[in-house]
Amino acid sequence: MMVNAQLYVKDLPGRLVESLEPISLFNGNIVGVVHDREQIVNQRICIDVTFEINGAAELDQLKETWKKKDVLIAKIGSVYKTFTMEYMLVGKFKASLVESLIDNASNMVKLESVDVSFSSQNASPTRTAIISAELMSENDLRKFDAYLMDACRQSGIVYIRGL
Amino acid sequence: MRILVSGFGTVGQGFAEVLALRNDLFKERYGKEVAIVCAMDSSSYAADPSGLSPKDLLERKKTTGKVGTDAYSDSLKVMDSVEYDLLVEVSPTDIVTGGAGLKNIRHALEAGKDVITVNKGPLALRFCELITLAKKNGCKFRFEGSVGGAMPIINLCRESLVGENISSMRGILNGTCNFILSKMDNGQSFEQALKEAQQMGYAETDPTNDIEGYDSACKVVILANSIFKRNVTFSDVKITGITSITSEAISLAASHNMVIRLIGEVSDDRLEVSPRLVPRGHPLSITGTLNAAQVVTDLAGPITVSGRGAGRVETASAILSDLISIMDDRKERGGRCQNP
Repeated sequence: MMVNAQLYVKDLPGRLVESLEPISLFNGNIVGVVHDREQIVNQRICIDVTFEINGAAELDQLKETWKKKDVLIAKIGSVYKTFTMEYMLVGKFKASLVESLIDNASNMVKLESVDVSFSSQNASPTRTAIISAELMSENDLRKFDAYLMDACRQSGIVYIRGL
Repeated sequence: MRILVSGFGTVGQGFAEVLALRNDLFKERYGKEVAIVCAMDSSSYAADPSGLSPKDLLERKKTTGKVGTDAYSDSLKVMDSVEYDLLVEVSPTDIVTGGAGLKNIRHALEAGKDVITVNKGPLALRFCELITLAKKNGCKFRFEGSVGGAMPIINLCRESLVGENISSMRGILNGTCNFILSKMDNGQSFEQALKEAQQMGYAETDPTNDIEGYDSACKVVILANSIFKRNVTFSDVKITGITSITSEAISLAASHNMVIRLIGEVSDDRLEVSPRLVPRGHPLSITGTLNAAQVVTDLAGPITVSGRGAGRVETASAILSDLISIMDDRKERGGRCQNP
């Protein structure tokens, strides 16, 4: 499982390494660390760490170890792998069409986030939109892809997707 | 090694030049020369069982527009009149019927001759038939230059990456489209960029095959059949060209740090040529007339190659690589190769 934790440690030399070492001790794999010296609460600095760990038992042991080492856990939770894809639409369409496409798609797949930006010209034959979609699974991404492609074809809109 | 060259346009002439340049290599590596015993263009031919001088062939083509002094109407009759070991088929691509190239390749394979071609038409239309014919008659059939010109993609996958499971392949397979899209990145309109491509000789007067994605689709078929062992033809490819790409689309992509490139994609369930959004800095975001391909393998991960996708000597270099491979194979098998 992939886990993200926000930890607070005393602002002393060696405390960063000391807080990360137990992750390796329980066979975890650190994916990312942000050591934020700007975020100080009660003379403790924030460490945002993302890591892979085998299961809940190892995670419980890790939390226990952090507690013993005086590492405060402010926030901890699972992180899900998401799948992001960019799409470009070119043609004569209104913003409301893109909104309805995304609404319809969200009834079929779980969209984690969607970001849409348009070119400046309104409803011209070359109006362009970029949709950045973040989905929860590869299967959802395939469904979204197929839906968007079909819908664009039916509306006479050119559809270009990312790699 | 006696070679019959069918087609003496840009690539055929490039091959003659390369052969003259590398004759010492053949002498050193195999102890024998490689000779062109017959060269045909669309209406004339020259033949000499003791070998033709590449320089003379090039000079005659330059001054008279013809490779030989003898006219012909049936290329198969010319082929039958010459003793040769290997056909280099570089006549113009015909993606509707396969053209003279298909006829000549079939004829050579049926006669038990090895064949090297860069002609996409026969490969996109009749790949499986030709491979089967080559196997049946114990012939070598190689076509590295048909995809990506000098970029060694087919032999890389079939030889160097033979132990890998290749899950997908994506690439820029048409230098003309990449030139046009690169120019559009710099603010030119599609029409201006196409005109410049035509003025520089990258695009034909009728650019349909390039800009509608047909040329890339032929290459996708060749890659799918030769590397993914699929049995597909040109009509199986989902094709979208670049004619609908607007300056506005290019600008919006740029504002998101992306470019638009015409990408050919092959995998077990995809066979497609279409414009795609490519992040700047990605190996497939290359500019100009270059070709590039990214192969995704299970052990080695992604492998990217790029190179000049067209050009006289560049494409001839791919033919040279196929020729050396065939000659190596003959040497290993105990010298089937005969001196001219």
